[in-house]
Amino acid sequence: MTIKMKNCSYTFCSFLLLCLLSAAGCGRSSKEDVKQIDTVPMLVMQIQQCSRLYTTEYRVHKIVTHDDVVRLRGRMFSADYDLPLPVGERKVAIPMTATLKAYIDFSGFSAEQVSRQDGRITVTLPDPRVVMTDSKIDQEGIREYVALMRSHFSDRELSSYEQQGREAILQSIPDLGIIEAARLSAARLLIPIIAQMGYDEQNIVITFRRDFKTDDIRKLLDQTTIER
Amino acid sequence: MNAQQKQYGVQSDKSQRGGCLFHRYLWVGLAMLTLMVVIFVWLLMRMLTDHSMRLTTDEGINITPEQIQSIRDIGQWEFLAVSDEELVDTVRRGFFKNDRLSRIYYGTVRIGVDLTKVREGWLTVQGDTVVAVLPPVGLLDDRFIDEARTRSFHESGRWTASDREALYEKARRQMLRHALTPANLRSAESQADEQFRKLLQAMGFKIVEVRFEK
Repeated sequence: MTIKMKNCSYTFCSFLLLCLLSAAGCGRSSKEDVKQIDTVPMLVMQIQQCSRLYTTEYRVHKIVTHDDVVRLRGRMFSADYDLPLPVGERKVAIPMTATLKAYIDFSGFSAEQVSRQDGRITVTLPDPRVVMTDSKIDQEGIREYVALMRSHFSDRELSSYEQQGREAILQSIPDLGIIEAARLSAARLLIPIIAQMGYDEQNIVITFRRDFKTDDIRKLLDQTTIER
Repeated sequence: MNAQQKQYGVQSDKSQRGGCLFHRYLWVGLAMLTLMVVIFVWLLMRMLTDHSMRLTTDEGINITPEQIQSIRDIGQWEFLAVSDEELVDTVRRGFFKNDRLSRIYYGTVRIGVDLTKVREGWLTVQGDTVVAVLPPVGLLDDRFIDEARTRSFHESGRWTASDREALYEKARRQMLRHALTPANLRSAESQADEQFRKLLQAMGFKIVEVRFEK
């Protein structure tokens, strides 16, 4: 009987000890698991190694305007109707500036693109590409005209117009002549560098693959610039 | 007698036939009338139900020109691009309620070497050996936020231009803090070393040494 009681008390004590140890162990492990988390709401960060020589910078200014008329639209007796309502107009003008840069991507550059013959060096460069590196809204310069019966422009609406303005600037890139400027600028930048390598400036030729058409230039727009 | 009966018989046959014909015409007329009523009701219902009414406003912007403010030659060699998006918000405490404005800013911090800052004689050649001394890697452009791409996340209350400008500056500081880290600068420097080495070797130099100014 006494042996049985002793066994029971040993079992109880060992169980208690086990519980205490496990509790202590749990506490320690939970302390170890706690890691400091950066609470700054950084959504996504993407790091990319590259080798891009930016040769030309264009600063483009645009005033985005929007006229907002409330209209009654519909269909009655199989006929469409569209009537402006006399509740007042809203207008907004948003001045914005964007920076476009053209670059030559040197990440795939190799000896195959360089030919030397009789002291003459010819470097064939890849196609220049264009990227919008920044855009700035002139917040102080925004002008709003809102009728008494209408609500003010919300932040969401203003952002939407700004995004449309950005798209319009991107659409205008083929007409800006930035690709041709980038080619000339690349030549102006690289010829002195190659001259320092011991070549006579007269014997340095910088060539590009081909001439571009408007559709080609749209393809040369950097993919990071295009909204997805 | 028989002839008279026959005459009566003929007359009753004629009147029976006339009655049948009348009934037939009546039924046809009624059917056509019903059909016309059904078609009329169907057309009326269609006209009454085929209507809609909604208040709309234009969502698009007007067509305005883009003007080139400036064109300049640059010589910025980028070796590391850090694309970042930051959720930035501001709160204005009020007596009854708090106003809040949250926006998501997008930007790409570009790290590399500005070739317009190279010193005289930065590239020296001796036989098949070339030594390039480059300026230190750093931020290529102070302006890197694509503000026109900004998304409005939440807005309550009225906010001014200076409030939005303050948010932009806050997003800018956060992006710089996250992107311009010593690790990223080291990574950009090693990439610059590797790329310049590759480029100069492609130009025909066997021994290439790349150094950075302190």
